[in-house]
Amino acid sequence: MVDHPAVEVDGLHVGYGSTPVLVGVSLTVPVGGGICVTGENGIGKSTLLRCVSGLQQPDEGTIRVFGGDPGATPEFWRAVVTTVEPPTWYPGLTAREHAELVCRAHGQDPEEAGVDEALERFGLGGHADAIPPQLSSGQKQRLVLAVALLRPSSLLILDEPEQRLDREGRADVARLLADYVAGGGSLLMASHDDAFAAASGAAVTTMESISSVTP
Amino acid sequence: MTVVPLAPVRRWISRTQSSHRERGATLSSLYIGVLTIAIIGGMLHRQVAAIFWPSAPDTSALAAGSLTAVCYGLLYLALRRFGPLALSRPAASWLLPAPVSRRRLLLPSLRLTGLVAAVIGGLATLAVVGHAAPRAEAGDEVALLITGGALVGLVLLLIATAAQAGRGWGDMLDRLAGLIFAAGLAGLVTATTLDRAPAVDRWPPVSTLLPVVGAVALVVVIAFALVVRGLAATPSDRILEASRTAGTLFDTAFGIEPSFLTDMIERRYWARRRLRSTRLFPRLPVLVAQDLLLALRRRSRLLWLVLAAALPLLLGSAPGWVLGAAVLLGLLIAGMTATGNVKTDAGNPVLLRMLGLSSRDAVLQRLWVPGVLAGLWAALALTALDLLGDLSSGPWWALGVALGPVGAAAAVHRARVGFVRNELLPLDTPMGTLSTGPLVNAVMGPDLLLLGIPAWIAIARGELTPTMLLVQAVIAVAGARIYLSGTTGDDRTELSN
Repeated sequence: MVDHPAVEVDGLHVGYGSTPVLVGVSLTVPVGGGICVTGENGIGKSTLLRCVSGLQQPDEGTIRVFGGDPGATPEFWRAVVTTVEPPTWYPGLTAREHAELVCRAHGQDPEEAGVDEALERFGLGGHADAIPPQLSSGQKQRLVLAVALLRPSSLLILDEPEQRLDREGRADVARLLADYVAGGGSLLMASHDDAFAAASGAAVTTMESISSVTP
Repeated sequence: MTVVPLAPVRRWISRTQSSHRERGATLSSLYIGVLTIAIIGGMLHRQVAAIFWPSAPDTSALAAGSLTAVCYGLLYLALRRFGPLALSRPAASWLLPAPVSRRRLLLPSLRLTGLVAAVIGGLATLAVVGHAAPRAEAGDEVALLITGGALVGLVLLLIATAAQAGRGWGDMLDRLAGLIFAAGLAGLVTATTLDRAPAVDRWPPVSTLLPVVGAVALVVVIAFALVVRGLAATPSDRILEASRTAGTLFDTAFGIEPSFLTDMIERRYWARRRLRSTRLFPRLPVLVAQDLLLALRRRSRLLWLVLAAALPLLLGSAPGWVLGAAVLLGLLIAGMTATGNVKTDAGNPVLLRMLGLSSRDAVLQRLWVPGVLAGLWAALALTALDLLGDLSSGPWWALGVALGPVGAAAAVHRARVGFVRNELLPLDTPMGTLSTGPLVNAVMGPDLLLLGIPAWIAIARGELTPTMLLVQAVIAVAGARIYLSGTTGDDRTELSN
């Protein structure tokens, strides 16, 4: 796994109908490194992340994640965490129990993994007993990030993780992402916030700079 | 605040809407509706007559009383579940916040539900009287009883309307109605087990019925006036909730997609619950622990399941194959009480990706709790039938347990179905065009009950041999195993079939 970059995208083309969204996109995320893609709405950031997550098939081009094809295999999803899709929640399960469920599915002891500390850190300590649909959109976003960072992974693919977070929350999340990268994890994210991207230890790049032609 | 008259607003909406419709579209819909009812009525009039007025009375006084409790308990619960006062979704969005009279806005809904409640109440009484009353000339008595039944339907509507506007006492009444419904079911089961239950041998005299019905009518008129006077006090959130229910019902009917309704009921249930986080049972596999926690959090549902194990007793005198089919259907329903998490994963695999489990691991773990519930339910139901002599003596409880994997596979298969595929080609039949999408959707789940054919045969014959028991156990376990390996994989996370 170490021999290959975490993500390697080459000559990616994606269009919706006759409208090209990604044209000749090439990008490399090294293992233990972070890349943050910025750009205006509708430029194709989320589409790029969906393709790298294997949730959307490109029209042309190659995508390699740790040297293999992105796919739907359990091995892929044990290594990769993505927040590209809107989350769903299990009925009748509290926020804390969702975090515990994910930890246990990955063979972690919830106490040792620090479920309570993670919820506290993301400002959800007082909402541990709430069912996620009762939380505000910002709290749900923080819960997703808390769970994503709790479970073991090698690559985080995050779509605008700073959205719906207040200034303090952004600083906390950026610090955690920087710790994740410093600990050997790889990070690919899309963001509108250059300061957040820089604080999270990711190299900032624009969609224009990684596309051969601006669509 | 200036109150805008509602009638001109409604007239304008109606005029504008009808200008967008084709000329005669309403008349055409009415014609098709009436024609459909006439055709179905013509085809099923014998069955309808047998339901409401069989050729001879066939139930005891206990069964008649129990049936009354079941019908009216269910009517009240249905009225509460659907409102009873509701507006269409556009009216809830545009007219509820408008400065119009809230009373006038809600009156048409009250009139419509009043009509429905009175008709259902009257029909319920007609059915009870038809099954229990002696066949003597008694025109006035029948008319008075049916009128009384319709008035009881209206009383229930008025109570439900007051409960909709009220506070916690509405929930207490709901529980009471649930208890009355359960007591009615218990009475029906008891009535079928009694050898010589006393029957109704004479009509109540008109001299008694007339003042009682008159008094109830007077109460209804006064209560109706009071409810209409207090209509404006109905909180907006309750009306909005009922409107969403009505809209979801419409979507369910229009899209032939029952999951819209069941998902809404599930969401509302959990939104009302106050939970306390607990450790998922550490000794169990993680998804089994989650399913078990979810099942234990719905204890009332488990209680209903235990009570429902007595329902096959109602079919003790029916042909054996009907009893066997009812047990298998109950098995499926018992398993489905614990498949909420499978439905979530099948609808959207986001969480399964987060868990990093293969579809095979996930489905294997998800089969356990539905299997145990289905097996226990079938064991209870068959033991009850055995004890009351509807089946010859034998280890019927063991047959129930052996059916557990069948119930688990059928319930999990049902939960993985997903939305109705309305794009499938319709079939032309001599009876008309048949939509295949809802048909295919409806049989997925029940189709796996075919794995219970040995049990079906044993129940139909009323005899259970050790060989038959062994055959059923082997087919159930092997069938569930083949279902698991045939519909899941170690190399994918998605649960869709």
